[in-house]
Amino acid sequence: MVNDTNKSAAIIEMQNVGIRYGQGPEILSDIKLSLRKGSFHFLTGKSGAGKTSLLSMMYLSQKPSRGTVSVFGHNVNFANRDALAMLRRKIGVVFQDFRLIDHLSAFDNVALPLRVCGMDEREVRKRVMELLQWVELDRSIQATPATLSGGEKQRVAIARAVINRPELLLADEPTGNVDNDIAPKLMKLFVELNKLGTTVVIATHSEKLISDFAYPRLHLQNHGLKIFAPSATTGMGVRHV
Amino acid sequence: MSKQPVFIARHEELPLKNSSTSLFLQIMVAIAVFLFAVTLSGVLSINAMLQNWNDSILGSLTVQIMPSTNINPEKAVAETLAHQNKALDVLRNMDSIDKAEPLTDKQLEKLIQPWLGDGIDIKDLPIPRIIDVKIKKGADIDFMDLAYKLAQATPMASVDNHKLWLNKLIQFADGIKILALSILALVIMITSGAIFYTTQTSLGLHKYTIEILHLMGAKDTYVAQQYAKRSAILAFQGGLVGLFIAIPTIFGIASLAHQIEGGIIGEAKLSAFDWLTIIGLPCFAAVIAMLTAYYTVKQTLQRLM
Repeated sequence: MVNDTNKSAAIIEMQNVGIRYGQGPEILSDIKLSLRKGSFHFLTGKSGAGKTSLLSMMYLSQKPSRGTVSVFGHNVNFANRDALAMLRRKIGVVFQDFRLIDHLSAFDNVALPLRVCGMDEREVRKRVMELLQWVELDRSIQATPATLSGGEKQRVAIARAVINRPELLLADEPTGNVDNDIAPKLMKLFVELNKLGTTVVIATHSEKLISDFAYPRLHLQNHGLKIFAPSATTGMGVRHV
Repeated sequence: MSKQPVFIARHEELPLKNSSTSLFLQIMVAIAVFLFAVTLSGVLSINAMLQNWNDSILGSLTVQIMPSTNINPEKAVAETLAHQNKALDVLRNMDSIDKAEPLTDKQLEKLIQPWLGDGIDIKDLPIPRIIDVKIKKGADIDFMDLAYKLAQATPMASVDNHKLWLNKLIQFADGIKILALSILALVIMITSGAIFYTTQTSLGLHKYTIEILHLMGAKDTYVAQQYAKRSAILAFQGGLVGLFIAIPTIFGIASLAHQIEGGIIGEAKLSAFDWLTIIGLPCFAAVIAMLTAYYTVKQTLQRLM
């Protein structure tokens, strides 16, 4: 169905990847995965199945215990710190625990990815204001995370993840805390970004989300990874990768 | 109401300003700069003083005529003066010598006044006569040749070219300079040590924020620059305080020294350049602080994260 051999277009490539913490057992074993540019995947699996570990390798926070991970064609095992930083600038991440900086306002939190690459402050202001309006947080720009609700924090986290128009967007339960009426709007944002060429991986527990959107599913089970075709929730159409 | 101010003050991503270690750092730097400013002013004064002496001393020498041992005081004076005239003849006939003048009786009396008191008639005493010799500017005088010629003219003359006691002073000044260098090394060590430890503590404190910055694509340099800037500001402020305390101290010491020995220390004036150096110390401290913080961050992040 897809041309997985086209390596130049692979945004993420994993070969024989295993990950373990300390001397513990491998959380993930023999992961083989290739995400094409412009693809959209859900990532599913029970709690503790290793979704966050898999994502953290994708956003370069963690190196594999074994095997090779390539992001944008760069083997992360051989990339130095500055090279990793440059790669991370092309990746937007929505963390499950948001990871906002508590003493910074919503505005400053969202502006972070732009400021770390030294963008002109006028441009930063313009972009951040636009996006905050879009996620309906323009009245909370000066508020610090402590004064925001769970849903508002999540919207700040999402805004921060997409502000830099990333080539790869990774989201860990991005609609978990938001109100029902804003969840579709945020999903629409991800879909729009995907149409513009952003590769998207969304970890979620929401069966509704998965059935509402016809995207393939990466499923973690028994330390391994299976890929399901769109809307295949019954195990039909399983394709081992 | 709906129009909110669009301008938003940018907050520091790393809240280093309110750090509890800031004051500690400023005090350390203030002490370091104070110590060094005072020492430096001492060294520069001594240097200036030596330079003055050197300039005047290199251009002059003294010829001493030993008094005659004749028992008759009047004859003795006459003989001594005769020897002095022979020496003067030799000196005044030399090309490299600009001027050779014997000290007058009055001048001699003034010289021995501190030891023998007022009302001394120099003619009654078997004291040496002194000829003050000025060497022509730029002339290269051969002391051996001069001593030889004088010895031929009169056995009573001896040349004192001031080098000996000046050398001792130079040794003393060199000792002070080594002391100053040691203090400078200490100052740099204190400043950079304080910066090193406060920076490391702060990095641990802000680990979470720094991790987020990294995840957003910040290079180590981005974090290092924030620390470097903050440390430079803190060190500069501390340095200014140290300097403001040091300046009256320097003047205080100078006036004390002046009271003790006006003749010598009076020449120990700091030049404008010396003052600029001293006033520049807070900047110097800021540069050290900046570099230390920068490299501490780079090195620590590489090791920890």
